[in-house]
Amino acid sequence: MAATTQNARAGAHPVRRGRPTALAVGSAARGSTVLLLGDAVAAILFAAGVAGGVAALARGMPAWPWALLMVVAGLARAAALWGSLRLGSRAAATAKSALRRTAARAALRRPSGSGSVGALLGAVVDEVEAIDGYIARFLPARQAAALAPMIVLAAIALASPVAALILLGTLIPFVGAMVLAGGAAADQSRRQFDALALLSGLFADRVRGLPVILAFQGEARATERLGQAAREVAARTMRVLRVAFLSSASLEFFAALSVALVAVYAGFALLGQLPFHAPEQLDLVRAFFVLALAPEFYAPMRRLAAAYHDRQAAETASARLAALDAAAMPPVGEGLAVVAAPAIVFDHVTIRYPGEDRDAVGDVSIEVRPGEIIALVGPSGSGKSSVLHLLLGLVPAQEGRVTVNGAPLKEIGSVAPFAAWAGQAPVLLAGSIADNIRLGRADAAPAEVAAVAAAVGLEDALTRRVGGLEERLDHRGGGLSGGERRRIALARALLKDAPLLLLDEPTAHLDAAAEAALIAVIARACVGRTVIIATHSAALAAIANRIVDLGAAA
Amino acid sequence: MSDALARVLAARPRAEKQQVRRAALYAALVAVASVALLALSGWFLTAAALAAGAGTALAFNYMLPSAAIRLFAIVRTGARYGERLASHDAALSAIARVRPALFAALAATPVARALSLSTGAASTRLVQDAGAVETALVLRSGTVGGAAAILSGVALIALAGPLAVLGVMGVAALLMAVSWALSRQLEDSGRALLREAEGLKAQTAALVEGSAELRCYALEDWAVARIVDGGTALAAAQQRDSDVRAAIEVASPVAIGVGAALALVVAAPHGAAIAALAALAAAMALDGLAPAIRHVTQAHAARAAYARLGALLDEAPPATLPAVSLEPDLVLYGRAMGPPARIALRGVSGSGKTSLVERLVGLRPAIAGEVSLGGVDIAVLPASTLRAAFAWLPQDAALLAGTVRDILVLGRADAPEAAVWEALEDAAFADRVRAMPHGLDSWIGDNGASLSGGERRRLALARAYLKPAPWLLLDEPTEGLDAATAHMVIARLDDRLRRYGQGLLIVSHAPLALVLDGEITPASPPAAADHRSVLFVA
Repeated sequence: MAATTQNARAGAHPVRRGRPTALAVGSAARGSTVLLLGDAVAAILFAAGVAGGVAALARGMPAWPWALLMVVAGLARAAALWGSLRLGSRAAATAKSALRRTAARAALRRPSGSGSVGALLGAVVDEVEAIDGYIARFLPARQAAALAPMIVLAAIALASPVAALILLGTLIPFVGAMVLAGGAAADQSRRQFDALALLSGLFADRVRGLPVILAFQGEARATERLGQAAREVAARTMRVLRVAFLSSASLEFFAALSVALVAVYAGFALLGQLPFHAPEQLDLVRAFFVLALAPEFYAPMRRLAAAYHDRQAAETASARLAALDAAAMPPVGEGLAVVAAPAIVFDHVTIRYPGEDRDAVGDVSIEVRPGEIIALVGPSGSGKSSVLHLLLGLVPAQEGRVTVNGAPLKEIGSVAPFAAWAGQAPVLLAGSIADNIRLGRADAAPAEVAAVAAAVGLEDALTRRVGGLEERLDHRGGGLSGGERRRIALARALLKDAPLLLLDEPTAHLDAAAEAALIAVIARACVGRTVIIATHSAALAAIANRIVDLGAAA
Repeated sequence: MSDALARVLAARPRAEKQQVRRAALYAALVAVASVALLALSGWFLTAAALAAGAGTALAFNYMLPSAAIRLFAIVRTGARYGERLASHDAALSAIARVRPALFAALAATPVARALSLSTGAASTRLVQDAGAVETALVLRSGTVGGAAAILSGVALIALAGPLAVLGVMGVAALLMAVSWALSRQLEDSGRALLREAEGLKAQTAALVEGSAELRCYALEDWAVARIVDGGTALAAAQQRDSDVRAAIEVASPVAIGVGAALALVVAAPHGAAIAALAALAAAMALDGLAPAIRHVTQAHAARAAYARLGALLDEAPPATLPAVSLEPDLVLYGRAMGPPARIALRGVSGSGKTSLVERLVGLRPAIAGEVSLGGVDIAVLPASTLRAAFAWLPQDAALLAGTVRDILVLGRADAPEAAVWEALEDAAFADRVRAMPHGLDSWIGDNGASLSGGERRRLALARAYLKPAPWLLLDEPTEGLDAATAHMVIARLDDRLRRYGQGLLIVSHAPLALVLDGEITPASPPAAADHRSVLFVA
């Protein structure tokens, strides 16, 4: 995890976990670069074809063999480019898969109270996708931009060392201009990107805030404000771009200048009109070859400049992913070996989430004896769920002490290894109801699954279904009623047969009859375990040995 | 393209029209200069070599061509700089026009549709669609550049006879046709990408929301594997899309090779110098089609985005019903009340209090017979009339990004400074604002991220106070506040109600130290499935 943060901060490669993945990404990316260099070689062949053809015509010989070489070279360039893009996307796919794994893990371990799920979804899906261009295009282009011009230069030097020197001569002031501009190209790209992101964000904010805007009848003003903000950002951005574009203009300038200088030199050399003594004798073939090849000298750098946007997008995305990863809670460890119903003690526990000015859980002290059923009640926001999340190790640092069977929770990390959970909306997979129940303990025998299904009263629900326990569900659990879902959750909990049972609002949004039936099931499930129930419902709280009102503690 | 969208895009202010023209002009200049630079150089070299061979080197006019070559190099550089500035200027100006128009249309569509588009995935898509359309607009000048490249190339190749011209134009037409055909596939692959991305998000959401459960059953690794597997379908869709784009890219080098070779061979009878000119002009002209190809590609990729945005703009009714002025007397579940009455809405959590509140501000379809305003059932009243009657504090505060002042004056744009501070004092938030670095002009970010829950609520309360309306509609005004602050807020609320004679409808699970005139429990049964209010963004 530290490696992720470090890499992301350096704006370098996104995370690559494990040697096989790193090797796969590395070799594909190298292959992509090699093919881009092959493109440079094909360009040399093309130039040779043009030069040879023109020289042949000048000698009165047929040009078509050279034309054929030009076509072949064109096809070779296309093949090299195609291969480079294919290998690039393969490298990107591998890297994205590894990055998605990291992002998913971090999202599943996000600390409680960290806000909406929407941002997490964006991270796991869209932001991982954003690094595609960086790996597939930018990285190979950057490697190639260092090497390809040298290959081209070498070929030119073979034909005309002076022309090669001229090109090298333009490279020095170009590099100087780049250094002086201090990365203005990157700056321009970043500013432009940020400006568009800002406008996008503002637009998104207004769209999401539509209910409030409508209720306050502020549509007209919000509309006008959007336009005004965009115009302001545009004016600011244009001022920046005017200067920042100068750096890319210098790239263009030297690219064009190099061609012009080579052309003028070669022409004068051929005419014998050079104002100085020529160190070489130039003929048409060599001169033309050099001219045709000259634009290819700066081409890789222009291709790199065009890919800068990909780099920008990837930097932003990887920074957000790094933040997500850094905030994630630690994974569940081995914990404590707990077989019998544990005793849990909360000693002056206070939970306050960052950015809140009120405690989610305020100075709570509860002693839960083994086998006891405790109901946590209180209005929403009084921290009932937070207490449960705390036990599971999903809450960042808090005050006070929690011990399980005497051992501090800080050392155990999480009660998850010996706890079972049931709430309103169990995770469902596309499979049979039996498969879904079996998520509680994967190695359970069918007889055990049937037994717990009966224990929670699913039989009545299942007789209505053709396949019974084996009836298949889609991943959204379509066709299951709220009551049936909760029974599946309880069945899972029973299947795991854990000594600690945590229930999070299991009867919320049920009508009175359904709730009463479910309460009976829950009561049966609580036997012999330590149970902590978070609930609004007085009826459910009635089955507890003790009721703790978290609202009153504030 | 939908009429409404076309109208919005075409309604350019003069300055933007100028920039678009300039961008096109510069693009053309870049193309012409590029073609001329290389073609002229090629001709120059060949002619010089032939002259040297024929012994007429001294008579060769080398000044003009060499000067022209250098001129074209400078023109190309300057024109490219100008083109980038002009096209960015035009694009940013277009953004300033298109997005407000989209928002206005969204606000004008029927409420249920508008709100469904304002949450989670739908709003992300709307933003992305706007971006895709804008990118397509930026690339528009590319078509002019491409045309200029071909025309200037053809003008030079014409020296080599009509056959050469036909040959090169044929290759160019073939290249554009191939690019066009391949681009059309991008529409499908783009749609598939969107579908897969949304599917993966839905799958991930379900798992992320169950993270507590996953922990207990040691299913975290299983869930990660599920998400990564879900990513493979997305990866396959991405691969298909990348392949199409790659195919479009590699069409150019092939065309350049074929076109230049063709020009060379066909122009051969005219001599080496002309043939050299023709070959290089053909190569650069075909290379100059790249911006046009980029435009075509993006236009096709953005087709679906255009369609969705067009659909949104087409839906908006051309005119909204004017607000009707009514007496602010409410009849709620048969109970009549009028300002300055104070009524509490009671009920168990999730029993529909917030839904009722949302119906009162016209954010949910009204239930006939439930409420009437001024003697008229709200089910038949236009939304604007309803909304004018209530100043609302939503349960989740719902602050827009902006300065404190921007947030506060949402309901009353011309509020005088004194009124703003009064509202802040009444919400027990004035000191906090005075303590901020820029006071009322301090920037509050994404839904009040820099404020705590209680602070957001008080700011939203002040916002409700500022809106002039006969009824104050407050949903959990003291949630997230510590006891002392809550007490202060209620006391000042009491005071303000006395001052302005507004009526009060208040939802609060906490007991209120407030004199009430009555309590109502919403009669409608809780909805079976989803209790989350329309405001909770996925």
